[in-house]
Amino acid sequence: MDTFLALELIALALTGLLIWHSARTRGVTFTWMFFLGGAFLGLVRENVVAQVAALNLYSYNPATFHLWIGAAPLILMVFWSYTIYLALTFSEVIVGGNLIGGKRKVRVILLAMVFMASYACLNEAFASIYPLVLWKFKPTLTIWGGTPAMVLWGYAGMALIFLTTLLLVYKLRIRTIYRVMVFCASVVVMIPLHLLWIAIFRLATSAIG
Amino acid sequence: MNSGNNRPNFFIREIPLIVLLVFWVIYAGIEIIRDRFDLLTSVIPTGLFIIAYIVVRLTSKEQKGQG
Repeated sequence: MDTFLALELIALALTGLLIWHSARTRGVTFTWMFFLGGAFLGLVRENVVAQVAALNLYSYNPATFHLWIGAAPLILMVFWSYTIYLALTFSEVIVGGNLIGGKRKVRVILLAMVFMASYACLNEAFASIYPLVLWKFKPTLTIWGGTPAMVLWGYAGMALIFLTTLLLVYKLRIRTIYRVMVFCASVVVMIPLHLLWIAIFRLATSAIG
Repeated sequence: MNSGNNRPNFFIREIPLIVLLVFWVIYAGIEIIRDRFDLLTSVIPTGLFIIAYIVVRLTSKEQKGQG
């Protein structure tokens, strides 16, 4: 079996473990919202980014990934979910908080952003080896073989946007099924917000450069 | 969220740590094999989170919160 196909399957299996953890420790409503919403986010966002040329960001390397949905690798359906879930859980344990319970939620989100930037260091260094991503622009600031420095900012921003939206939708006084649907539908807001977040960094660094 | 009476066992509680450690080892391992290993980016940032998490888990008397 190809090494990277094995990695894709391992990532799917590990996400399954995280879904199990979430269902056992946070409840079914949270789990449906988090992982179904995360799947929608990954699927829609990565297809938009890969296919809309005007964004001038990146596409995925067809020589590396095996499983696809449109222009996005299947693994992106779980990527944002598992990374943000790890960020949330580690941050809650470290600061002794609880996002949904409202305990130290600002500190939890801020630390989750730092975690995501840290995870970006690990992931993007790995991604640059194959490479997993084909960049469409020449960035002002680069790290690890040409990876734009904005990826750290981008990962952190995704945690901020995803967790804040999740918290807002979770608190709605509507039935579980509607909360899940509203959160999934909210990707149409989260995606432009995240693209704006990235655009701010690109604008700032191009001014510096 | 589970109450104290229905607390998941150690394995379930520590699934996030196990998952991160697996990713950590795989990614760093492949970087070493491909001669692209960088301690500063591949190990230290997430490593600090792993250490902080374990320290809190070990020192926490009540171990409330997630997982």
